[in-house]
Amino acid sequence: MSGHTPVQVLTPQTSGRSPSRWLASIAGMRAWLFLLLLLAVFESWARISYGASFVLSAHNAQSIAVFAVAPLLLALGETFVIIAGGIDLSVGFIMGLSAVVAAQGANLAASVVPEFPAMLAGIAAGLLVSLVPGLVNGALISRLKVPPFIGTLGMYGVARGAAFLLAAGTTVPVANGWFAALGNARVAGFPVVVVIAAVFVLLMHYMLSQTRFGQHTYAVGASEQAALRAGIGVGRHTRRLYLLSALCAGLGGVLYTARFTAGAAQAGEPLLLDSIAAVVIGGASLFGGSGTIFGTVAGSLVIAVIQYGLVFIDVEPFWQFVAVGVVIIISVLVDQTQRRLGGDG
Amino acid sequence: MKRMVMALAAIAVGVGALLGSAQAQAPGKKYTIALIPGLTTDAFYVTMRKGAEAAAKVVGADLVFQGAPEFNPVQQTPVLDAVIARKPDAILIAPTDKTQLVQPLKKAADAGIPVITVDTFIGTGNYRTGAGEADFPLSYIASDNVLGGKMAAQALAKAIGDKGKVYVSNVKPGVSTTDQREEGFKEEMKSHPGVQVLQTQFNDDDANKAASQLQSVYTRNPDLAGVFGANLFSAIGVANGVQQAGQSGKIKVIAFDAPATVVGNIKSGLIDGAIAQHPAEIGYYGVITAFAHLTGQSIPTKIGTGFTEMDKSNIDNPDVMKFVYQR
Repeated sequence: MSGHTPVQVLTPQTSGRSPSRWLASIAGMRAWLFLLLLLAVFESWARISYGASFVLSAHNAQSIAVFAVAPLLLALGETFVIIAGGIDLSVGFIMGLSAVVAAQGANLAASVVPEFPAMLAGIAAGLLVSLVPGLVNGALISRLKVPPFIGTLGMYGVARGAAFLLAAGTTVPVANGWFAALGNARVAGFPVVVVIAAVFVLLMHYMLSQTRFGQHTYAVGASEQAALRAGIGVGRHTRRLYLLSALCAGLGGVLYTARFTAGAAQAGEPLLLDSIAAVVIGGASLFGGSGTIFGTVAGSLVIAVIQYGLVFIDVEPFWQFVAVGVVIIISVLVDQTQRRLGGDG
Repeated sequence: MKRMVMALAAIAVGVGALLGSAQAQAPGKKYTIALIPGLTTDAFYVTMRKGAEAAAKVVGADLVFQGAPEFNPVQQTPVLDAVIARKPDAILIAPTDKTQLVQPLKKAADAGIPVITVDTFIGTGNYRTGAGEADFPLSYIASDNVLGGKMAAQALAKAIGDKGKVYVSNVKPGVSTTDQREEGFKEEMKSHPGVQVLQTQFNDDDANKAASQLQSVYTRNPDLAGVFGANLFSAIGVANGVQQAGQSGKIKVIAFDAPATVVGNIKSGLIDGAIAQHPAEIGYYGVITAFAHLTGQSIPTKIGTGFTEMDKSNIDNPDVMKFVYQR
């Protein structure tokens, strides 16, 4: 895949849209089309069977948005890593580690300061602790040349063990009104966690599409050798990518603790594969070099909508497993086929 | 992964063996009893270990606690093998599968190590009947999860005034204990004609998914009256879904198991009640039963431990608080 990539994408000073970036944004758009298709299916099902609307329900929209936040946060960082040709398997347990530390940080601080600063202390502790595995991941991959799959798989275990050790094998409850409000309150009708995620999405979109950091990410993923020749500090860039990915997972962990008023080491365990699937459905290639933030947003929503919608239309639970798997395969197949037909840039 | 678990277990057992040989020189026979939980990362088993340690102290035995991080036979079997290699005087185990653990455990029995199952069972759970491949364990010590499910159904039926729609939020199919809770729940609800039990939703132990499922079921059934969360993450997820839907206090939530998180949620009103098992009791009686057998006493083939119903009215009572799962 990388061999076909035109060279202009590798030169940071090129300001125009390169073919592969253009292709990636088309792929991202396909994810949105797929999302619309899914919504149309659920909508018509709802109208025909129950005479109610699926889409035009504020309750459904809010529920799906809140549901999508945690996997989306993991997927945002993962998008950068995957575009650069890597993979980060440790995000699920980095999220758990942050959730536990945020809960313990807030509890610890609450014994000396009021609830609001205690919450801030918890948030800071949760985010800071996520940087540690991120730093180690980056160092392992860039300095010691450990393959990302193996390096982050090792960190998956380390973060998991650390989180469970800190939590003594159980969950850590937090009784902090501010923290609970952060996770569950609404601003102008929008759940706070969704607002935070939306701001974060815009920030990440800006970083990926408008900054040199973003351009270097595409360049490293398209061809590491070419990126090196173009004078990009690939090692340093790689370390920043895994730090960013860990930080996204850390934010996911902090918001989990806020929402469920408890830090759980296994908070992110079930989300890892969903988040990688979201990135791929969103049009990113696991071989690196392509992908967009809005594509990943669409991918996360596709997964959230299927899982929510299948319950809504009352599909037998065992069939839900099958259906979710089939929809993920179809959406990626459609993407691959169109890529092949359209040529690869 | 498997190899890593095995290596870790081997190291742990090796260290244990060193300690054990040092103690063997002490006067009098000191028994070593191994406890293998379904998984190590769960407050339920952490509490069971505390009970077992308390009993070990009473009878002067050494307790070895080794297990896998996930509830699954592929990871539990190598741990079991490593423990058998160390030849403890008795093994207490929560088998992670009714059939897949039969042969691995038979190796222990063949090596002359008495096996007692705690919390979960192999075969039918009826031991020493002379029938079947899996009747060799000496005793099965656990809370009756079917009964626990029935108690949850009664608590939920009471909370919703014996009428309305309810459903079970469960982890995943195929886990003996949570399957039994659901079975007991549905069986009890048959004698509550006003209550309609909707389809079970499986959440893969993910609170986020359990919350989303609650919201979806609620949209379709605005008259939803209550939910039974069959384990910790099911219950806190459902409680959050109810809160997000603005239905706190209207949709009743009954939880199973009582870690501190559930207790906090009962106090804040997010969860209406919980059926707490007594894992410390299971661990305590497990060790005592093993010791009784080792010292030549006869032991029963089944010991049922109790439940405690928790809700806002009794949660501060010290007699109830002592059943909150402890680290």
